[in-house]
Amino acid sequence: MDKPSPHAASIIDPTLLARVVKGDQQAFSQLYDHSSTLLFTLAVRILGSREEAAELLQDVYLEVWRKVSRYDVGRGTPVAWLITLTKSRAIDRLRARASRGYRATNSQEDDTAAQVADPGPSPLETRADEELRSAVGAAMAGLPQSQQQAIELAYYEGLSHTEIAARLNQPLGTVKTRIKLGMSKLRESLQQWGHHGELQ
Amino acid sequence: MTHEELEESVPLYAAGALNRTERQALEAHLLSGCVSCHSVLKEFQSVAALLPLALNPIAPPRSLKATIMAERNPAPIPAETAPNEPARQSLEPGEWMDHLFPPVAPARSSSLPWALGLATFLIVAIGGYFAWTVSTQRANDRSYIQQLEASLQQQSAKLADLHREIGDQNKALAELRNELKERIQEAVQAKEQLAQREAELEETRILLSQRGNTRTGETPQDELATLLRIPNAKAVSLTGSDMAKQATGFLLYDSRTQKVWLYSVNLPESPAGTTYQLWAIHDKPVSIGTFNMDSGKAAHLLVKKTPSFADAKAFAVSLEPSGGRPQPTGPIYLLSQS
Repeated sequence: MDKPSPHAASIIDPTLLARVVKGDQQAFSQLYDHSSTLLFTLAVRILGSREEAAELLQDVYLEVWRKVSRYDVGRGTPVAWLITLTKSRAIDRLRARASRGYRATNSQEDDTAAQVADPGPSPLETRADEELRSAVGAAMAGLPQSQQQAIELAYYEGLSHTEIAARLNQPLGTVKTRIKLGMSKLRESLQQWGHHGELQ
Repeated sequence: MTHEELEESVPLYAAGALNRTERQALEAHLLSGCVSCHSVLKEFQSVAALLPLALNPIAPPRSLKATIMAERNPAPIPAETAPNEPARQSLEPGEWMDHLFPPVAPARSSSLPWALGLATFLIVAIGGYFAWTVSTQRANDRSYIQQLEASLQQQSAKLADLHREIGDQNKALAELRNELKERIQEAVQAKEQLAQREAELEETRILLSQRGNTRTGETPQDELATLLRIPNAKAVSLTGSDMAKQATGFLLYDSRTQKVWLYSVNLPESPAGTTYQLWAIHDKPVSIGTFNMDSGKAAHLLVKKTPSFADAKAFAVSLEPSGGRPQPTGPIYLLSQS
C-alpha cells in the first residue's frame, strides 16, 4: 500500500481526529476544510439539491463533532468514515423524502446544472488528490455503461438490487451480476489506491 | 444462506445494493467472526469509499462552515442533545464497522446508546444462532421421530401379520377339534350300534334256543359267536312266505371274511329228493348254498367263501331238487324284508 500523502485533502491524518476528540476547535476546522468539498459533492449527488446538501452537511459535521470519540483508526481511514456517515445520512434523508412523495428526478436535473457551474476543486486539493480523482474517474469510466449505472443507482440513490431491477426493467440476476462484476473491476483497478478507504 | 452465498453478496453490500434482510444476514455473519468475508469486505469497502472521488467536486457554500462552527458546542457533546437526528432505518453499508470494532476511547455517556445497540444486536445475533441451533435440533428430532414412526408402522404391520397367522392357526385348530369330535361321536355311535347288535343277537340266540329247545352243533355255535364279535357283520331277518307263514329266518354275513350264517325255524320238513337253497338276489339270484330240514328242527347253514353279495338287494330261500339249481326253480319259503 502507498503511504498516505500528508498533503492530500482526500487523505486525512487520523491524529487530526484524535485532536478533535480532545475538543480541539482548530483541528475541527481543519477537518472541515479537508473534507467538506468531498462530502458536499457526495451529498449533492445523492440529494440533488445544494440546499439540502448544506443542511445535511451541517447535521453530519455536528454529529462528527459529537461522536468523534467513536471513531477508531482501526475501523478505517477518517475519510472512509466521513464518506460512509455522509452517504448513510443522505440516503436516509432521500428515503424520508421519497416517503413524503417528492420526486428526486427534478432535483437531479438541478444538480447537473449546479455541477457544470461549479467553480472547481477547492484550493486545498493537491496533486495527489487529482491523481486519485482521475484514477477513480477512469476506473468508473472503464466500466460498461450498464454496470456503472447499476452501481450508481445502488450507491447514490440507495436502491436495492430488486428496486434497480424494477427501475431498469431487467432480471434481478442480471442486475446482481452487473454490480458484482462492476465492483470487482473497480477493486482491481483501484487496488493501489486502497489506502484511501482502507479500513484497518 | 451459505457462506458462499454470503461472500457473493459482499460486493453488493459494499455498493449498498442489498435489501434489508440480506444486509442483516451478512452483518450477522460478519459478527460471527468470518475472517474471509471480513477481508473481502474490507477491500470492497475501500473501493466504495473511493467512488465519490469520481464526481465533479462541488464546494459547499462559504457560510456553511461558519454556521457549523457556531452551532456546535464548545466541546464534543453527548448524543442525547443531538438536534434532529434522522431516524435510522437500519445498519447502513459500512456501519457494520461500528459493531465490529468497539470504541478505543473510554466509554462516555454518549456511547451508551451505541453500546445498547451493540448489545441488542449481539443478543439478536446470539438469539438467532440459538434459534437456528434449536431449529436444527428440532429438524433432527423431527427426522428421528419420523424414522421411529416408520419403524413403528413396520412393527405394527408385522404384529398384524402375526395376529392374522395366529387367527388362521386357531381356526385350523378349531376345525381339527370339530373333526375329532365328529370322529369320536361316530366311534361312540358305532360302539353303541355294535352293543345293540350284540344285545339283539344275544336275544335272538336265547329266543332261538328256547324255541328250538335243542342244542345246536358246536361248530355252528362257535361260528355264530365268532360272527357276532365282528363289528361290521350285517344282520338280515327273513320272514316266511305263503308256503310257510310260521317260518322265520335270520341271516348274518361278513363281507370281510365272506362268511354267511343262516338260522331258520319253523320251516316245513324238506321232502325227500328236495333241498332248501339260499339265494342272494342282485340283478338275478345267485346261489349261496343248500341245506336240509328235519321236522321240528332249526336249521343252520354256514357258508364260507361265498361270492360277493355286498350289494345284494335281497335274500331268499327256495325249495329245490336235491343238489340245488343254478337258478331258483321251486317255490320261495323265506324272503328278506327289504
